[in-house]
Amino acid sequence: MGIYAEPRFLPCGDLALSVELGDDINREVNARVLALEYLIRQQSLGGVTETVPSYRSLLVYYDPFTVRWDELTKSLRALCREARPEVLPPARTVEIPCCYGEDLGFELAAAARKLGLQPDEVARLHASTDYYVYFVGFTPGLPYMTGMPERLEIPRLDQPRTKTPPGSVSIGGIQCCIYSVESPGGFWVLGRTPLRLYDPSAADPILLRAGDHVRFRMISRVEYDAIAAAVAEGTYTPRTERA
Amino acid sequence: MPSLLIHEAGPQTTVQDLGRRGSLRVGIPPSGPMDREAFLLANRLVGNADDAAELECTLIGPRLEFADERWVAVTGADMPVTLNGVEMPRWAGVEVEAGDVLRLGAARSGVRGYLAVSGGIDTPPALGSRATYLRGQLGGFEGRALRKGDCLPLGPASGGAPAEVHEETIPDYTVEPTVRVVLGPQDDRFTKRGIAALFDAPYEMTPQSDRMGARLRGARIEHTRGHDIISDGVALGGLQVVGDGQPIVLLADRQSTGGYTKIGTVCSFDIGRVAQVKPGQRLRFRQVSVAEAHEFLRAYRREIDDAVHTEATS
Repeated sequence: MGIYAEPRFLPCGDLALSVELGDDINREVNARVLALEYLIRQQSLGGVTETVPSYRSLLVYYDPFTVRWDELTKSLRALCREARPEVLPPARTVEIPCCYGEDLGFELAAAARKLGLQPDEVARLHASTDYYVYFVGFTPGLPYMTGMPERLEIPRLDQPRTKTPPGSVSIGGIQCCIYSVESPGGFWVLGRTPLRLYDPSAADPILLRAGDHVRFRMISRVEYDAIAAAVAEGTYTPRTERA
Repeated sequence: MPSLLIHEAGPQTTVQDLGRRGSLRVGIPPSGPMDREAFLLANRLVGNADDAAELECTLIGPRLEFADERWVAVTGADMPVTLNGVEMPRWAGVEVEAGDVLRLGAARSGVRGYLAVSGGIDTPPALGSRATYLRGQLGGFEGRALRKGDCLPLGPASGGAPAEVHEETIPDYTVEPTVRVVLGPQDDRFTKRGIAALFDAPYEMTPQSDRMGARLRGARIEHTRGHDIISDGVALGGLQVVGDGQPIVLLADRQSTGGYTKIGTVCSFDIGRVAQVKPGQRLRFRQVSVAEAHEFLRAYRREIDDAVHTEATS
């Protein structure tokens, strides 16, 4: 079905509501969610205190003593009509260096066996396409991405790990995930990036944003160590370009 | 430099202000006090701005020493408080001097106690807030819970005045609370029987609860078809129900988004009551509409504004 003819407004307690724009995961619906958020922020829509985009809906926190529910939903309905992907500023592509295999990508060989491919083929395929970031969330800076080659579709691990190191680049189902903090995990770890998706000591702790494009670049262990050292010193600037 | 020296920290004492705003969209929760009402009243008792940073103490409080004259107030969980070994009143502003030692003991009822100091705790803000986000090692004192030997900077003390919270406003945490819930966003994914179960019988707090969420145990809440949804944003108080039919109330340090059905949302003004329920203690849910919730919110704010009685206003 895709995009609804009219947005759905779902109550989330006394201080928030969810604006749902469609019924599935696709980039068109998501671009409208991001466009709606962009317009709300650009116009500083009265009474809105915070927004959280996800695949197909925008969670809107509001102050009910500044704006009433019926006023807010009326403004949001009007903004939804304008919220087309074209209103968004140009997207950027962020390069994520990734060292595949060995101790950092400790499940590359097992994933390759499961997929009936050679490990270097899995790494090459994984780094061959651009990924799109629908939104960032769950843990700080974690990107929800799409764009993985179909050939890499793989069932999740039977036994989830209790700890996955931050920066682990991993796959499960049709999804690719980069862990932003140490977490449990059910995805196959193919490699690791020396970049920090979440760095609490930085002025801007988050690397990726909703709407970004991501490209992985295969790096050697030597380059991984060099970039990791530069990141630790605060001298590394991630490569970005217009998507 | 004016400071607060920690002699004993307690199991989980953190610096909190009213929380971070605007960072949920990149996955960073607001954090801030679990019981906003007790937090606000402590600040008001010592003449601080509402957003001044305080200490939130969990189950057992700290023992600490002052380096200069301050007004202090302890609110929230019923922790016995002593000043230089002598019992000190709670829910009231008290003047302390350099070298005084304050101790908050084990909570007789409630879970979270608050200690406000005039001038506020002056740790460096992170993303505009001093609130501690433990999992993300962000804000507060070095992004972590306090330890013995920590020395916390304090802001310049402004003048205080004797003040206390009206007796009838002080909550009794031994009573089983009834917290108000607005249905949605995914109440359509539950059976009539499932929704009735939520409101019929009490739920028990489990020990697996923390600042991220309160895990409850009680009557099974039945889904219509599975518990997975397309991941969406999780509001404060979101009542998430997973495969086992048991609810989790998502709190100050919650995940920003999640892939499980949320049957309803606990209203903001009752979150503090949830935060004070001890493991093994029970609570009940009551359904309200959005419009009713806004009326209760108005009354709640008025109650907080009227709660503090100072000498100047007597």
